[in-house]
Formats: sequence, C-alpha cells, structure tokens
Amino acid sequence: MIAALCYEFRMQVRRPVLWVVYGLTLAALIATFGESYTMLDLGRGGGHDPKAAMVTSATITMTLLPIVYGCMLADRLVRDRRLGVAAILDATPSGRTGRLIGKYLGTCAATATPFAVAYFGRAVVWVIMEGRPAALGWSALMFLLGIVPGLLFLGALSVAGPLLMPPLLFRVLFAGYWVWGNLIPATMMPTLSHTVFAADSDYVPYGLLRLRMPDGMSTTGPWPGASLNLLRPVATPSVALLWIGLMVALAAAVLSLARLHTALTES
Amino acid sequence: MRIQISGLSKTYKGGVHALAGLDLDVPTGMYGLLGSNGAGKTTLMRILAGILKPTSGTVRVGGHDITTPDGRLAVQRTLGYLPQDLGVYPDLTARRFLDYIALLKGLDSRPTRRRRIGELLEVVALTEHADRRLKGFSGGMLRRVGVAQALLADPRLLVVDEPTTGLDPEERIRLRTLLSQLAGDRTVLLSTHIVDDVAQTSRSVAVLAKGRLVFQGKVGELTALAGRRVWNVTTSGPPPASGRIVSALPDGAGTRYRVVAPEPPAPHAQPAEPTLEDGYLALMEELPLKRGQSRESIA
Ligand SMILES: Nc1ncnc2c1ncn2[C@@H]1O[C@H](COP(=O)(O)OP(=O)(O)O)[C@@H](O)[C@H]1O
Ligand SMILES: [Mg+2]
Repeated sequence: MIAALCYEFRMQVRRPVLWVVYGLTLAALIATFGESYTMLDLGRGGGHDPKAAMVTSATITMTLLPIVYGCMLADRLVRDRRLGVAAILDATPSGRTGRLIGKYLGTCAATATPFAVAYFGRAVVWVIMEGRPAALGWSALMFLLGIVPGLLFLGALSVAGPLLMPPLLFRVLFAGYWVWGNLIPATMMPTLSHTVFAADSDYVPYGLLRLRMPDGMSTTGPWPGASLNLLRPVATPSVALLWIGLMVALAAAVLSLARLHTALTES
Repeated sequence: MRIQISGLSKTYKGGVHALAGLDLDVPTGMYGLLGSNGAGKTTLMRILAGILKPTSGTVRVGGHDITTPDGRLAVQRTLGYLPQDLGVYPDLTARRFLDYIALLKGLDSRPTRRRRIGELLEVVALTEHADRRLKGFSGGMLRRVGVAQALLADPRLLVVDEPTTGLDPEERIRLRTLLSQLAGDRTVLLSTHIVDDVAQTSRSVAVLAKGRLVFQGKVGELTALAGRRVWNVTTSGPPPASGRIVSALPDGAGTRYRVVAPEPPAPHAQPAEPTLEDGYLALMEELPLKRGQSRESIA
C-alpha cells in the first residue's frame, strides 16, 4: 500500500500537464472573480478578517479547481490495464485492496498538490498584504476540515468512475455533476447543492469554525423555496462533523464498489 | 519447483472454453509450451501467475494449491511472471520501475533493493540505460526490463509468455539464451508459438491445442512423430497434392518442396531427416483423427 501510494504520487505530481491545466484554470478563476479574488470578499464582508478571508478564498478556489482535480484523476486507475502493467502488479504478492487504497491516496494527494499550492499561495499573499499571520492557521484548518473531506469523496468518484465508462465521458459527466450538484443555487432546481451531500459545502466554516455571516448571507441551512431542504440542516458543529463523516463514508463506499467491480470482471 | 496441474478448465464469460480438462506435470528446468494462437497458453500462464481463477481443476506449484488465497500468495512470493502483453509506466526510468515492482514483491529493505536491481540490470545488459525513461525503450529492451522484474525476488518459478514475439532475430536469440541460462535450478515455463524457440532452449515440451494437451514429452519424441513422414520433392510441375508443405525452395529449373505426409507425396519423393517443426506439424495433422478416436472410445 505504501509502495503504491509513493509511486502513484510521484508519477502524478510530475506530470507537466497537471500543473499546466491547473495554472490555466487558476488564471481563469482570477479573471472571473477579479476584484473578489483580490479582496477575498464576496460581498458578505470580512475581507480583512483572517478567518472570513480564508473561508472566502476556499469558496472561490472550490468553484473551478475541483473540476480539474476530478478530470486529472480520471485515467489513473484504468490506465494500469490500458498500459498492460496490471498483469505484473497483480502477479505480485501484494494485496489488491491495499494497492487500490495506496493508489487512491497517492494519486489524490498528488492531484491535490497544485490545488493546495493555489490555496495556500493565496493565503500567503493575503498575510503579506494584511500583515495578519493568523490567516495561515485558519487556512490550514479550513483546508483540512472544509476541503479535504470533499476532495476525498471526489477523488474516489474520479478514480472509480472510469471503470464503468471511457475517461472522456466521465470527465464531461463529472463537470456536469459539479455544476449541478455543488455550484448552482438550491432554488434553481432540485439539486444536491448546499446539502450535507455536497462536496463543496460551507458546513465546516459555519458549523465548526463558527464563522458568522450577516443575516441572509449564509449558504447553509434550508433555502426558502428550495426542494430537498430536508438535506440542508442548520449548520451546527455536529452537522459539520456529520458532513465530514459522510464524505469519508461515501469515499469508502465508492472504493469498495470499485474493488468489487475489479474482482468481478477479473476473468 | 514442480507444477502439477490436473483437470484444469477455464471458461471465460461468453462461453469460450480456453482450457478444457488439462493434466500436466512440469519438472524443474526449462519447459516449452507450444501452441498456436488461441490454444490457451496465456490463459494457463495467467492462472499460474495467480491473476486468473480457474473454473475447475487443481493447480499445485511447489506443493501450494494456487486456488486458495494463502496458496496463491505463497506461489506469488516465489514466482516471476513475464506477461505476453508486457506494459510499463512510460514516465518512470527502468531503475524506478524495477524499484516499484520490488516493493510490491516485498523487498522492503532499500539497500537490498538497490543491490538486487543493480545486479539484474547487469544480467539483462541494461545498466547503461537504467536511468532513462521507459518510453524511449525498444521492444527488446522492454522485454528485458520485463525479465528483470520477473527475477526480482529470485523466483524458483519463471513463467514467460511469448517472450520472443515481435523481436528482431538478434534480440530473440539473446533473450532465449538468457532464459536458458536462468533455467539451471529453476523451473522456467516458456510459452511460444515459435517452434524454433523451444528447439533451441528446452528438453521437454508440451503442446496445447484448443485448450487441450495434445502432447507431453521430450523434444526428441515430438520430433520423432515426424519420423519417416518428411519428404523432399523436387519438381517443376505443380506442388505435391497430399501432405503439408513446410518449405519451398527454388532448385535449378524446379522447386524443392519439403512435405510432411504419412505416405510419399510423389513417386520420386526422397525421405528427409525430421526437425522439431516437422514433428509439431505432424502432430497437428493427426489431431482431428485422434480426437475422433478418443470420442469413439468414450462412447
Ligand atoms: N479475457 C477473455 N475473455 C474471453 N475470451 C478470452 C479471453 N482471453 C482469451 N480468450 C479466448 O480464450 C482462448 C485462448 O486464448 P489464449 O489463452 O490467449 O491463447 P494463446 O495465448 O495460446 O494464444 C482464445 O479463443 C481467446 O479468444
Ligand atoms: Mg497468448
């Protein structure tokens, strides 16, 4: 498992295309958000408060970069078979489950590396501009608790999904899922956006990090007029923990299905 | 290390009977496995490598039952496998790739790994290319990387599937010489559809056809199947109508045909010394007949 983790990390993190695609997307992000990206203020105030600014930075980063993350992961598991390496790997006395987990963790960590560089880079710039190093702590907390669980789930989905379809089709569907299930406002149509099942969620900053927003600006809790509000409880610490647990559990479930799938299609 | 196979069958999804009730005993040393494309060689090798589960039958390798999870692990610990469609990670160097596989094979100590990989790169003559990325390697070089990865754990059993296919003659000879040298106290099971590869390396051979074992014995015995069945016919007229033509060489005004046939294929046919290839062809010629007989004897 450790071997697969290290080597999958190494092979993915050194792919130039990974960094290029992230770089271009980041440029697009900065162009799209313009002033908001500079001020770290999405009209909800707090651009000068370390905690609020780091949460805003996460919100902005989470709009487009997860699509790159998912797309860059989509070929990782299936390429062993495509390249013809699978036979050699499978003939070693290493456990297949351990290898799958190692590959998943290694390749997800590698694919999240440019993501983390972008996010923490923005935090460093903010600290230099505002002179308040507390933001580094908040950004680390926000990344670990508010972003990583979502990335774990998205990573499992992206590693396993292409077992069932060509990676290209998966990427299109994944981008569609991302926009539908995470980005659009809950009132637009029935969607997973802003529910405890959304990978991009504000439950951690509002529930666990006790971020306070001006009235009516909060994205968590029931949305007036939206369907599926049952899945949008008011943000509390326990709901934030529930969200983290759900993300990890979903990731584990998807990986188990992937393992089952490879076991069944073996012959 | 001895391989004992009995009643081994593999039916793929979709109903292809790739192996049908195979019984085979493979002793230590170099062992050739001959068969045309689709005969079931790769299926057998994948089962031996623990990648594929048989539909029925038993396979024991060095006493371990490969169909149980523990047995499979035990066999995989002492197994080297060179798959037919060998693939590598193109962006890793040869040394890195070998290091990854060595880790998966349980060579946990870094100095041991480093030493072993250095030795094996020497054995397969790739030391000077060790730190180049695999995407620039030729087919022959990749095959040698494949041999090196198979040898990492100093296996008692080497399973090599069509290692010479697609190589130029020099690389082919080099590879099969290497495999012969490796045999020594190991069991090397070499599958191929190229008769010459077996002739040049093995003393014992088994022949697979359509998932069944049709011959098992010494190379000389397979050659002997063509005894008094190989003929040279020189003619300027049409080729001989009966038997199987092995070769046709221009000879003066006519053509000299080499023919495998039970009876002289032409009045002036000259008997010739059989080769392993002739024996293989003679066996293949006889097959439908033999099958028919055995079916009758069952009925
Ligand atoms: N994964 C598979 N699924 C279905 N049929 C297969 C599969 N692999 C091989 N076969 C079939 O099984 C038979 C034996 O194939 P194989 O073992 O590859 O033979 P060989 O290696 O001697 O050429 C062939 O008819 C082949 O088409
Ligand atoms: Mg084959």
